[in-house]
Amino acid sequence: MDFMLRLTLYVYCAAIVVYIVREVWRANTMRWVAFGVLSSGFILNTILVLTRWAEAHHAPMSDKFESFVFFAWSIALVYLIFELVTIFIVKVHESRIGIIGALQCVLVAWMICSALQADSTIKELPPALQSNWLVTHVICYFLSYSALSMSFSAAIVYLIHRWIFSGKQKDAVAVEPGSQKKKDYSFDKLAYIAVSIGFPFLTIGLITGSIWAKGAWGTYWGWDPKEIWSLISWLVYLTYMHLPLMLPKTNIKKSFRPILLSIILLIAFPIVLFTFMGLHKLPTSADSDHIYAE
Amino acid sequence: MAKAAEPQQRKSKSNSKTWEILCSVRLAVIIIVIMAVSCVLGTVILQQKSPEEYVGRYGAGLAKFFAAIQFTDIFHSYWFSFLLVLLCVNLGCCTVKRWRNKVLMIGFLVTHISIILILIGCVVDLLTGVKGGVNIYEGKSVDYYLTRPDYQKNPLGFEVFCDDFLIEKHPPKYKLITYVKDKDKQKAVSLKVGKKISIPGTNYAATVKELIEDAEVLHEPINVSDEPKNPALYIQLSAKDNVTAEGWLLAKDRNWYNDTQRDLKIDYVWADTDEAHEKLTNAAAKTSTKPTLEIRIDGTDIVKNVPVEKGQKVSIKGTDYTVEIKDFALDYSKRLVALSEQESNNPAVMVEISGPQGVDSRWSFSKYPDYQDKAHKTIYKDVKLKCTVPEDFSDAKNRVRIVQNRSGKQTITYIKDGKVVSTNDWVIGQSYDIADSDLKIRIAKYFPSHSLKKTVGKKTGGHEGHNHGPGEHHGNPAALIEMEGPRGEYAEWVFAHTPPHWYPDNNFAVLYEKSGMEVKDYKSILRVVENGKTMVTKTIEVNDALKYKGFVFYQSSYDPEGERYTGLQVTKNPGIIVVYTGFILLCLGIVFIFYVKPFLRRKLNKGKKIEEYYSEEEMLAEHIE
Repeated sequence: MDFMLRLTLYVYCAAIVVYIVREVWRANTMRWVAFGVLSSGFILNTILVLTRWAEAHHAPMSDKFESFVFFAWSIALVYLIFELVTIFIVKVHESRIGIIGALQCVLVAWMICSALQADSTIKELPPALQSNWLVTHVICYFLSYSALSMSFSAAIVYLIHRWIFSGKQKDAVAVEPGSQKKKDYSFDKLAYIAVSIGFPFLTIGLITGSIWAKGAWGTYWGWDPKEIWSLISWLVYLTYMHLPLMLPKTNIKKSFRPILLSIILLIAFPIVLFTFMGLHKLPTSADSDHIYAE
Repeated sequence: MAKAAEPQQRKSKSNSKTWEILCSVRLAVIIIVIMAVSCVLGTVILQQKSPEEYVGRYGAGLAKFFAAIQFTDIFHSYWFSFLLVLLCVNLGCCTVKRWRNKVLMIGFLVTHISIILILIGCVVDLLTGVKGGVNIYEGKSVDYYLTRPDYQKNPLGFEVFCDDFLIEKHPPKYKLITYVKDKDKQKAVSLKVGKKISIPGTNYAATVKELIEDAEVLHEPINVSDEPKNPALYIQLSAKDNVTAEGWLLAKDRNWYNDTQRDLKIDYVWADTDEAHEKLTNAAAKTSTKPTLEIRIDGTDIVKNVPVEKGQKVSIKGTDYTVEIKDFALDYSKRLVALSEQESNNPAVMVEISGPQGVDSRWSFSKYPDYQDKAHKTIYKDVKLKCTVPEDFSDAKNRVRIVQNRSGKQTITYIKDGKVVSTNDWVIGQSYDIADSDLKIRIAKYFPSHSLKKTVGKKTGGHEGHNHGPGEHHGNPAALIEMEGPRGEYAEWVFAHTPPHWYPDNNFAVLYEKSGMEVKDYKSILRVVENGKTMVTKTIEVNDALKYKGFVFYQSSYDPEGERYTGLQVTKNPGIIVVYTGFILLCLGIVFIFYVKPFLRRKLNKGKKIEEYYSEEEMLAEHIE
C-alpha cells in the first residue's frame, strides 16, 4: 500500500514536469504524452481507492488518509474529463489548458503527499457515518472541490497573464485570420466554466449533508462549524456568480472586472480547502460533531 | 390636470426607487457578503457561552461590545434574522421583476423560489417546531421531553418505553508486536502462519507456526508412571443410567466428593500396607473435625466458640443472651456441583438468640459472616456470628469409601449411619450399586501417577454464561510463535491480550496485542404506548429514527457510565416538507441552469448567431464577449 502510494506520487510528479514541457514545447505528441502520464497516475490512484474500499469494507472517504487519496483521485478525474471534452467535443486543439494541468497535478501531488504523512490504519466507521448518504454527499463535494480547484488554477494563470501582458494585447493567443482551429478559451472564461461545473455539485453536497444531518442528529441545520464553513464557501461562489450582473452598474472599469472576479476565486478556493481540512484550528470546533477529515 | 399628475408621478418615481433597490443584484450581493462575513465571525468568536467566559477570553470591554451587538449568538440575533428576511424580500422582488415567460428561465425561477421556501420552512420550524431531548432508563418509560436549551418539561401525549439499550461493538483486531530492548525498537508485524519475520539490524526473528482463533489452555490428565506416586481414580456416579457426576479423585489431594442432594459422600484413600488397608476398610466413618461457631459480642471481650450441633443451647456469660443452634446446612442453596469442581459450598448455621428484647433468629453464612438477611429484622446487632466449616466436612449419612493399596488390593465400602454395610472388591469399568439407593458408582480409570499436561487447543463446548447474541462471540486467539535469536529457537504459545513473552536472553519480546472494539452502533428498542395500547415498536439507531404523531426520536447519546439509559433527541418539524421541497427544487434548478440550459439553448436557437438570442444580462453572467 505504502509502495503503491509512493509510486502514484512519483507518477503525478512526473506529470507536473511533462505538462510544463508540453506548455513550452507545443507538439501534438507532447500533448498525448502528458495526457498519458497523468492518466497512468490516475489509474494507479484508482487502484489505491478500490483496494482501500475492499480492505476497509466501507467507502474510503471517512478519515484524513482516505479523503486525501480520494480527493487526489477526483481532481485527476475532473481534469482528465475536462481535457477530453476540450479535445473531442469543443475541438480546441491548440489549447493552453496544459498549464492548468500542471497546476492541478501540483495539487494532486500535494494531496498524495499529505496522505503519505497521514495515519493509514483502517478505522471502523463511527455510527453517524454509517449511512448511504456518505457516498453521495462526499462524492458530490469532492467532484465540486475538484472543479473549483480548476477555477482557482485558471484564476492564478489569468492574473499572471494579465500582469505579464498588461496593456500589450487583450488576447494573448492571437488567432490567425482564416485559421480552421477554434479560438481558445481565455482563462477567465475557463475559470467560469470550471465554477459552473463545480457549483451545482457544491449545492447538492450542501443539501445532501443537510438531509443526512437531519436523519442522524435530528436537525438539518445546527450551526456547526463544518456546516457554517460549507455555507461560507457556497456564499462566496454565489457572489462570484452574481457579480457580473452587478458590475456594469458600478463605476468599476470594464477591463478590471475579470481581475476582480479572479481575485474572488483566489479567495474562494482557500476557503474551500479550509472547510475541508483546516477546521480544527477554529476555537469553536471543540464541540463540533463532525470534524471527520481531521 | 397637470397639477394632479405631478404628485402621482413623484410617488411612482420614489416607489420605483425603493423597488429598484429591493430588486437589485447589488443588494443581493451585499447581503450575501455580509452573511458570509458574519458566518466567519460566528466560527471565530465562541458562540452561546456564559458572559464570564467572554470576559475571560476577550477582556471586559470587548465582551461588553460583543454582547451589545449580539456577536455572542450571531445566528440567533435580530440583525441576522433581519438579513435573512431582507434576502427573502430581495429574492422575491427580483424574481417577480426579471421573470420573462421563457423556458430557459425555469432554472432562475426555481432556484430563487426554492431558497425562499427553505427560509420560510425554517421559520415555520422555529416558531411551531420542537427541539428537545430526553433520557430513558432501560425498562422505564417517559411521557414528556425536555426542551433545549432551557430544559422545560413538556408532555408528549403518549408514553415511550425503552425496552433495551445496546451498544454494538466491532470485533477486536489483533496484531503482533515485536520489541528489541537494546535498540528500543518496536515493530508491528502481520500475523501470517509460516512467514518468518526478521527484525532488521538484529539477529532476532519470529515465525508464527500455528494460529488458533478461539483457543484455550487445556489441562489434559495423563499418567506419568506406573509407580503409585499420585494415585487417582476417575469416578462416575449415575442414577438410572444417567451420569450425574464424574471426575477425578486424587488420594493425596482432593479425595472426597459431597453430594448434598443425596446425602452422600465418597472418599478415596490410599493405604500403603495391607494392615492399613484392613483398618481403613473396616473403620466406621472417619470422624472429621466438626464445624464451629464463633460468637462475639461487639464492644466487649466476650468470644465463645461452640461446636455446631443441632439443638445446642449456649448462654453467654456476662450478657443476657442465649444462643440456640436451630439448623445447619452444608450447602444453603443445595447446589449440585460437578465432581471435578468440588469445593466447599456455602455452609450456613441458623441460630436463635434469646435476649431481653425477644427472639432474634438468623442464618449465618460461613463465606459471608457480615451478611444481614434482609428478610429478617436483626435485633441484637452487637452479636456477631462466624461459622467455620472444615473443607472436607460432611454430615452425610451415606458414605462410600474406596480404598486401594500398593499390593493391588482394592475395596469399595458402603457405610450408613456410621456402620459398615458392605465391602466389595472392585475392578475398573464395573458398576456397583450403592445399597438403599438408586445410585450406581463406576470407577472408570486409574492413574497411579496422575499429572496434568498443559496444551493449547481449539476451544470446545458452548459459550454459556457469555452475555452476547449469536454470532457475536469473539474468541480468544492464540499463536504458536517461534522466536529465533542468539540462544537458538524457542517456541511458545502466546495468547492475545497477555503480557509480552520474552526470549530467554530477555532482550527480545513479542506481544500479541488486542485493539479495536470500536462502537459499531447504538441501538434502543423503543415502544410507544398510548391509552394502554402499544402503537409502535422500533429498534432505533443512529441514522434510523422512530416517528410517531409528528414527533421524531433520534438516538443521540447514552449513559457513559453503565449503559443504563439511552439519550434521545426529540424533534417535531412541521416545516420540514417546505424545507425539503425547497431542497429538491434548488437541486433541480441549479442542475438545470448549469447542465441543461446551455445545451437546450443551443438546440432551441440552432443556426442563429449568439448575439441574437443572448440577452445582455446572460452574456454578462456567462462571460461571453
